[in-house]
Amino acid sequence: MRFIGLRLARGVLTLWFAVTVTFFLVRLLPGDPVLAVADPNMTEELHQKLLADFGLDQPLGVQYLDYLGQLLHGNLGMSFRQSIPVTTVLMERLPWTLILTITAMVVTIVLGIPLGVLAATRAKGWLDRVIQITGVTAQSLFVPSVGIFLMYVLGVWLGWFPIGGAVDLDATGIGATLSMIHHLVLPCLSLVLVQLGGYVLTMRTTLIDALGEDYVSLAKAKGVRPGKVVWKHALRNALLPTTTIAGLQLGTLVGGAVLTETIYAYPGIGRAIYEAVGQLDFPVLQGAFVLLAAAVVVANLITDVAYGILDPRVRT
Amino acid sequence: MTAATVELTPRQRTWASFRRNPLGLASGVVLVLLALIAIFAPLIAPFPEGYGTDTSQPPSGAHWFGTDDIGQDVFAQVIWGTRVSMAVGVSASVLAIVIGLLIGVSAAYFRRLDTPLGVLVDLSLSLPMLPLMILVAALAGPSVRTLAVVIALFSWPEVARVVRSQALSIVPMPFVSAAKVVGGSSLWIVRKHLLPGVIPVVGVSVVLTTSRAVIAEAGLSFLGLGDPSSWSWGTILHKAQQSGSLASAWWTTLFPSLAILLLVLSTTLLSVAYNDARNHRDAS
Repeated sequence: MRFIGLRLARGVLTLWFAVTVTFFLVRLLPGDPVLAVADPNMTEELHQKLLADFGLDQPLGVQYLDYLGQLLHGNLGMSFRQSIPVTTVLMERLPWTLILTITAMVVTIVLGIPLGVLAATRAKGWLDRVIQITGVTAQSLFVPSVGIFLMYVLGVWLGWFPIGGAVDLDATGIGATLSMIHHLVLPCLSLVLVQLGGYVLTMRTTLIDALGEDYVSLAKAKGVRPGKVVWKHALRNALLPTTTIAGLQLGTLVGGAVLTETIYAYPGIGRAIYEAVGQLDFPVLQGAFVLLAAAVVVANLITDVAYGILDPRVRT
Repeated sequence: MTAATVELTPRQRTWASFRRNPLGLASGVVLVLLALIAIFAPLIAPFPEGYGTDTSQPPSGAHWFGTDDIGQDVFAQVIWGTRVSMAVGVSASVLAIVIGLLIGVSAAYFRRLDTPLGVLVDLSLSLPMLPLMILVAALAGPSVRTLAVVIALFSWPEVARVVRSQALSIVPMPFVSAAKVVGGSSLWIVRKHLLPGVIPVVGVSVVLTTSRAVIAEAGLSFLGLGDPSSWSWGTILHKAQQSGSLASAWWTTLFPSLAILLLVLSTTLLSVAYNDARNHRDAS
């Protein structure tokens, strides 16, 4: 319980840090925030009214406490452009981003583990070399480039997959689910291709280390089948550091999702960010960051707790 | 032969080992070429602006990389893009290295600062940086300088982490205690004893931070936060996305994408080769 409490405290601290950094960055940067919503030639009267409307005439400390209080109520402010609460704008987008990132994460792990095992058990062989070189190259890929390439080849040329949107609006029932999966393939694949390299390379290194441990020699000496030694003994221990690193890369995954959603007009938070950039809708941008940071914190928390339950050693 | 080997300084041995790695050398050459293209862009192609008559033409003898939807030459865009992408990448990286070096060394040397700085770095590393960079870049207004500062502002934690762990292994060394005993000031010890020890690690960091900064710049520009008066690889992709060329004119996106890949791949391979050279220099 103490372990969970500590992780929870760290999650809350991270979130507070994210919120505070954002708040002060936004307020301390040069530039009049009111200019984002109104004509630069507005009257002084209107200027003051807008400042008051957005609470920008209060002292910074008061604004900060007010902002924190509003956040606790789930209030992220009003969208400058759409005049609806940011929470409303983002909450209808969040499920799509979650579907995209979680699917990408799961596919990466499902493909990454066997590839890592393949490379580690044939360390220094030609297959290992191929996997290593491909992995390093994949790590150097720029998400939009991959997205555009896949869209062009699989979407436009071959016409196998739709190149935009998340679902056919006229599909119902099982057809709607199928259409959702159909639309998910390309954005998801783009994310997987970019994430997979790093994951496999980490998996490979930690597994090679694990295979050099005494318990592996012992298991082999006892006559355990080689396959079982790798999959049951070494892999379980190699998974822990790999998962920790996967957790650390969640931030990158989210960044990748923002870019991918932009390319495929996928209606998630990332696409909302792209649209908000074009309209200079700062509350939406700020809210999107806070929400994505919260999602990463929660995901890390779940990973940590799950691992604490599975592996007693990490409960510190 | 052995006598000659003994005379070599560690740096020379690293270089000797590095020279034997063809992949590392090739990467170095590619990076130098890209830097030359960036510097001499005006001599290679005219600055792409205005409207041309040949719109959305595929690659040909007249337009090596084709033209975009308003008739601009994509080859010229990529050449000029090299300039901004590399300028932002290098300046953001230099700035991030300086901040990271200061924070990392302070955290390792001044015990009392270690915990707060460590927490700061950990917290920054666990947050999704791209959305935060987008927010700040949008607020500060798009310009080459904004991009460099914003990227540096969010890239230093990675450097600080690497520097701190290296510096931590130097602080307990006898020569640091000796320097303290003879009455050396903290600043002098940090400058004379700690910094030289962490510089080799920073060498790799410079290269990797630059390539991350180039990627970050491309990402921000792709989302429309690039400098509107200049070209970068991300800007070319952004224009293609906006005009809808994304799904019809492959040449408008393929060439800037290849440029990014070339740069990032050669920085990665170069740093791998450099690390190998440093680690194997005793073995060879």
